[in-house]
Amino acid sequence: MSFVERLVHVVKEGNIEESAKLVKKSLEEGKSAQEILKQVTGALREVGDAFERFDVFLPEMMMAADAMIEVMKVLEPELKDQGAGTIKAPAKVVIASVKGDIHEIGKNIVVTLLTANGYTIFDMGADVDSLEIVKTAQREKADVIGLSALMTTTMPGQKEVIDILKDMGLRGRFKVIIGGSPTSRKWSHDIGADGWARDASEAVRVVEELLKSR
Amino acid sequence: MGTPPYRIWEILNRSESGRFMEEKEFVSTRVIPELRRVVKKYGVKYDPSSPVNVDDSMADSVWKAAVEAFLSIGVYNKSNHRLIEFTEDEIHEALLGLPGQYLFGAGKDARPFIARKVEDSRPPFMLFSPDITYDEHDHFLACVAFLKEPLLDGLCAPILEHFLGNKINSHSPSELGGSLMHAMNLREAARLVGRPGIHLVAVGTAEADSSQIHVSNDQYGIRTTDSRLVAITTELETNNELLNKGLHYQQYGCYSGNLAGAIYGGYAGGAEGTAVLQTAYHLVGTLLYSSHYEQNFPFHLKYLSNTGREMLWVVSVYSQAVARNTKIPQTSNGFANAGPGTEMLYYETAAHSIASTVSGANLWEMAPARNKYPNRGTPLECRLAAEVGYGAALYGLSRKDANSIVDRLLKKYEKDIPDAPLGKTFREMYELEKAVPRKEAVEQYRNMVRELKDLGVPFPY
Repeated sequence: MSFVERLVHVVKEGNIEESAKLVKKSLEEGKSAQEILKQVTGALREVGDAFERFDVFLPEMMMAADAMIEVMKVLEPELKDQGAGTIKAPAKVVIASVKGDIHEIGKNIVVTLLTANGYTIFDMGADVDSLEIVKTAQREKADVIGLSALMTTTMPGQKEVIDILKDMGLRGRFKVIIGGSPTSRKWSHDIGADGWARDASEAVRVVEELLKSR
Repeated sequence: MGTPPYRIWEILNRSESGRFMEEKEFVSTRVIPELRRVVKKYGVKYDPSSPVNVDDSMADSVWKAAVEAFLSIGVYNKSNHRLIEFTEDEIHEALLGLPGQYLFGAGKDARPFIARKVEDSRPPFMLFSPDITYDEHDHFLACVAFLKEPLLDGLCAPILEHFLGNKINSHSPSELGGSLMHAMNLREAARLVGRPGIHLVAVGTAEADSSQIHVSNDQYGIRTTDSRLVAITTELETNNELLNKGLHYQQYGCYSGNLAGAIYGGYAGGAEGTAVLQTAYHLVGTLLYSSHYEQNFPFHLKYLSNTGREMLWVVSVYSQAVARNTKIPQTSNGFANAGPGTEMLYYETAAHSIASTVSGANLWEMAPARNKYPNRGTPLECRLAAEVGYGAALYGLSRKDANSIVDRLLKKYEKDIPDAPLGKTFREMYELEKAVPRKEAVEQYRNMVRELKDLGVPFPY
């Protein structure tokens, strides 16, 4: 088994320490950084697909995503040296569970899957003030704002963020995606969000579509 | 008989002075690896051929794994990033003081609420609960429809989404107003059907601690003979607002239950870790919140339900682990995939009721349609769960026989779980003004009972 093949294996296993070691050895073996990146990205996609089928669970997905982050730390300078330029994240997403909502796992799964797909994430956590979300999105120069709500009584927090964006004249600057168990496509439409996802996997696809339409 | 609050100020002080830790570290160095470790150490293993666990040693292994996980993980206070940790002696002391039974409700409507044992012939306490929001103008009559059910021992009411025409906004005056309306509707509905003292679990509309405190009132709100819920969040986390609720319930003097739902597919991993974590939550309720009972709703991350094969195993094995090793009264909260008025919902309800009843749980049924869609819940599925619960207890159903029946039921619906039918709304199933089920809904119910009896499901008559 080559170092790259072993690397693919340990990324799938979420072995963070071994991932960083093997990516270095793969480079020493003469593999190009771009080739390694392609293989590892494919491995991570396989883990994501397995999570969607529930062949693996959230811990495995999280660990694989963390291993990918370590791999990228080693690969980025190499890619630069090889003239491939810095790996450019496709977009930055500011994400939060809205005001009054303490539930985070759904949002955290979205964070994991978006990270695994190369997005830069600014995770604000749970029970986050609406204006603070808008200000953070401005400061971080985000492309997308993701808003999660798990209670019917916290859904208005999603609307509040969009209303503030409108009132501050910023609505056109960000794509807004919402989600959470009690939310729906209709609610998303009613409050003027750009997208809605029923689960984390769909959230990745919706973000991708929204960014294409910019 | 009540339970003395467990060293509340010592425990609450720990929530301020415990070790500092970032949340990500808590999850990645404690929750995930410790649950995996204890599952392996104690040989906890899910058996798909046995959706109702029949192995006492497996239940005891789950209990031992849960105790060890609770001690090695602790609870995380998100408000100040502090760990709340416990000792083994504290577990022994807290469990020793439990009476194992309470009297829920008041006067002629009071009912015993007990810590049942595995294959207990004493019927479960029947807590009816649709666990979903209803339109504001239907809310009162929905409460009436539920409270009219003769087998109901207690009600956790329909929840309000709107108050005086406006959508309730968490932590705002609309939530305080809606919470009070919720409590008043419940009390008036209970009086109207002649059960003024019936046990109420309320109010689900109140998310904020201030809203819960707002409705504590023996005259017009939630009484000391009622009970309240305080949640633990995903996974093994709390915050100051939840701690405030737990403290208020003790000082107000009402009963309280710890609302806990371990997530299958989440940080706990598969069925084994989910069962261990759900068992550990009983210790959280007893030691952290001094709760009088555990309100359990483990659920599947993808389907948001707990009637699939692996989830029924989780329900049965943690219920048995707790029933065999403690006197903590527990309720088993069903979350079905299908909606009201579908055959699938009745199959799911019967399976959940049987698996829970023979495993030592009380019943808290039934949240249809993945607990997602407003107005999709009726008293009929709760009635079915109660009848099946009575049947299973009174006929002395064994776990082995329960396993065969549940397996037959699962074969009727498990393939349909991913695309379960949404079913009907409360208004489509009930004559709202009379608060009675429509003729066709009653006819369907009778047909379903006949079919379930043919499948071996026990009914009391």
